[in-house]
Amino acid sequence: MRQQTKEEEFLDANGASCFRLLLNFVINGTSCSAVMTSLGSSSSSTTEYVVRVPKNTSKKYNIMAFNAGDKVSCSTWTQARMERDMSNRRIYGEEETQEGAAGSEFGKKQREEARRKKYGIVTKEFKVEDQPWILKVNGKAGRRFKGLKKGGVTENASYYIFTQSADGAFEAFPVHSWYNFTPQAKHRTLTAEEAEEEWGRRNKVVNHFSIMLQRRLRGQERGEEEEEEGEKGGKKKKKKEGRGGDLRIHDLEDDLEMSSDESDGSNGDDDEAKSKAKKEKGPKGKGKKKKKKDSDLEGFEDSDDGDFEGLEVDYMSDESSSEEEQQEKTKHNKGEDVPKGIDEMSESEEESEEENKNEEDGKEEEEEEDGKKTPVQVEKKKKKDSSGESDSSEDSDIEGEAASALFMKKRTPPKRGGGRGSAGSSRTGSRPGTPSIDNAATSNTLRAAANKLEQGKRQTTVPSTETPAAKRLKMEPSPQSSSGKSTPQPVSGKSTPSSSDVLLTEDAVRRYLIRKPMTTKDLLKKFQTKRTGLSSEQTVNVLAQILKRLNPERKNINDKMHFYLTE
Amino acid sequence: MSDKGDVDLTGAKQNTGVWLVKVPKYLSQQWAKATGRGEVGKLRICKNQGKAEVSFTLNEELTTLDTVGQKSSMVRAPREHPFTLQTVGGQTLAVFTENSSGQSDAETGGSGTGPDKIALEGMVVQRAECRPAVSENYMRLKKLQIEELSKPLRFSQQLDKAVTTNYKPVANHAYNLDYEKKKKEEGKRARADKQQVLDMLFSAFEKHQYYNIKDLVDITKQPVIYLKEILRDIGIYNVKGTHKNTWELKPEYRHYQNEEKSD
Repeated sequence: MRQQTKEEEFLDANGASCFRLLLNFVINGTSCSAVMTSLGSSSSSTTEYVVRVPKNTSKKYNIMAFNAGDKVSCSTWTQARMERDMSNRRIYGEEETQEGAAGSEFGKKQREEARRKKYGIVTKEFKVEDQPWILKVNGKAGRRFKGLKKGGVTENASYYIFTQSADGAFEAFPVHSWYNFTPQAKHRTLTAEEAEEEWGRRNKVVNHFSIMLQRRLRGQERGEEEEEEGEKGGKKKKKKEGRGGDLRIHDLEDDLEMSSDESDGSNGDDDEAKSKAKKEKGPKGKGKKKKKKDSDLEGFEDSDDGDFEGLEVDYMSDESSSEEEQQEKTKHNKGEDVPKGIDEMSESEEESEEENKNEEDGKEEEEEEDGKKTPVQVEKKKKKDSSGESDSSEDSDIEGEAASALFMKKRTPPKRGGGRGSAGSSRTGSRPGTPSIDNAATSNTLRAAANKLEQGKRQTTVPSTETPAAKRLKMEPSPQSSSGKSTPQPVSGKSTPSSSDVLLTEDAVRRYLIRKPMTTKDLLKKFQTKRTGLSSEQTVNVLAQILKRLNPERKNINDKMHFYLTE
Repeated sequence: MSDKGDVDLTGAKQNTGVWLVKVPKYLSQQWAKATGRGEVGKLRICKNQGKAEVSFTLNEELTTLDTVGQKSSMVRAPREHPFTLQTVGGQTLAVFTENSSGQSDAETGGSGTGPDKIALEGMVVQRAECRPAVSENYMRLKKLQIEELSKPLRFSQQLDKAVTTNYKPVANHAYNLDYEKKKKEEGKRARADKQQVLDMLFSAFEKHQYYNIKDLVDITKQPVIYLKEILRDIGIYNVKGTHKNTWELKPEYRHYQNEEKSD
């Protein structure tokens, strides 16, 4: 009895279950006395066991090592499968090109072999023994482990496994090899390239949960046609909005959501409804158009200095514009896909929704090629959110018109001609001959836009028709309504800005024009809607009136009409 | 017939505990020499007030070493080896066994084709290192080992006499004689009938698309000029961007998809 207690203590101290077996034998006095001798003493006990190293055993013993942190407990396994991982075979095995038939040479193999020998290229053999193990525990839903062979185990010392056999003797089996098993992740992970991207954006992206979501959706999109993109984009938007709602992490999302609430009643509703409906239609159409346009665009525009200065670049044209680095910062931001901080984002919010949308879609496709989908999508979603923004917060729609007219195939030349005709007739001859319709659309539409500025109260059919249908659908009601409204506005040199950053005053315009010749675009850029608090429509009209009053000199620089004052 | 890859989990279920013992090389060599049932020695486990002492004693007959050289009789393997016990912590170690495929008799397949049976034998509960008890004997053994290991794998040896047995001057080498005889037998290559040659060529081009002129000469056993004439008719000479200049059939003669060719 006393002995037994001591043995149990012994067991607890060592935690060796084999001892328990062993000592039970001793106590119960089973028939192994020949094998073991037990020496009793007051405070210690010694037992002797025979050690056997069995010969000719067909079983090879191996060690399966798990990290303690993985908390692997073999007793919980109900079922396990283990096989060699043969995925490296094709690397080591010779790639067998098709024998015979076309393209084969007589004696090619021998020649290849001779060549390899000559250069001393030694290809390692594919040894099945050294291949890693794949261990699957508990079926499909269970864990997976990969076991890599550890080298150098049997070089200088041998490991033996001592097990207790039935007769109480120890049997020692040599360990053949050692495999380190690591669990394999079942969740999706980023690839190395994606991880690098995300790392670069880690300071800007706040909502980390969306990273995998976007990646998954990006994968889906890549495999689908253009048409689907719009829908997915819509879905993405909704998802993102939902997520934004759940997490409310991203400042910008809040911003966007609120700004969408702020939009005018009519506009807002229109926008929302149309935006959602249009998302499928618009992006679809736009997508196709854009692809063609991009290619057109490449050969279209010369990258002259100053060409793009006042140009409000449509988001579709990102490829070319971002490549040319004369863009202004905001445009550059638009063109730039990768890191877009929150500040930049809020700035770009000012841009027209149409352009936003186009940018998204355009970017989407362009970015597919670039592979920089994530940042774009983040921004795209935001912009889609902002599509609910009111028109009033946009920049002059002239910019949009001009740009969109620039880059959209669906220009309506006849109408434009009509517009220009009227402009030409009402204009004095200071303007050089109106370029033909077939000319670069830039000059056409800019001129038309400038016309509008000059006139200040032309019928709105021109701007609306000048804009390509798909893009400007939303805008159509608004320009018509707002420009109709703007005419009776008091022609005052001063606007009534709510924020007083920049006032659209005659003085301001005069200052700019004295400093250097500017196109209408440039001027509009100076008086950004967010700063002046005016709607784009209002800005346009007020600016037009100011210009009429100032009556600046006109100079054609690079085929663009520049205004300037000399004083 | 068990499915290949299924792991027999009986060992894990029973939670069989095993020891993992690191054993010096010389000892494992001695153990390999064991006879009979494989008894190699005795393991003594001493429990002294909570601390366990384990030691292994090598059987007498296994202490003789087969070392090369003169010192074999003097040095013997030490007999006493205390074990140093260690914990397993930090790793979970399991032991699994693999049945070599050639010997699993449950399968009907021939050797090498039967699947391996994998079984989990148990978990490691104790790690130990088998150390020899330091003794004069052991030191001598170690010295021997070090001497052996420090010998370089290659060594240069000076010869007393120059080697003259390899190459002797010969009127004509045996190889050359054989070669000439072979050539004589073959004789000059005769021009065979053109149609026959064409047949041979076509069948050759069925197998491969590109051929070197030398290989074609070998295959058809025709004089080179004659062969070239024929080839000029039906084939094109191809620089192909690689060094070798190869001949291939003209496109109208080719029909490689189904490995047939049209004439």
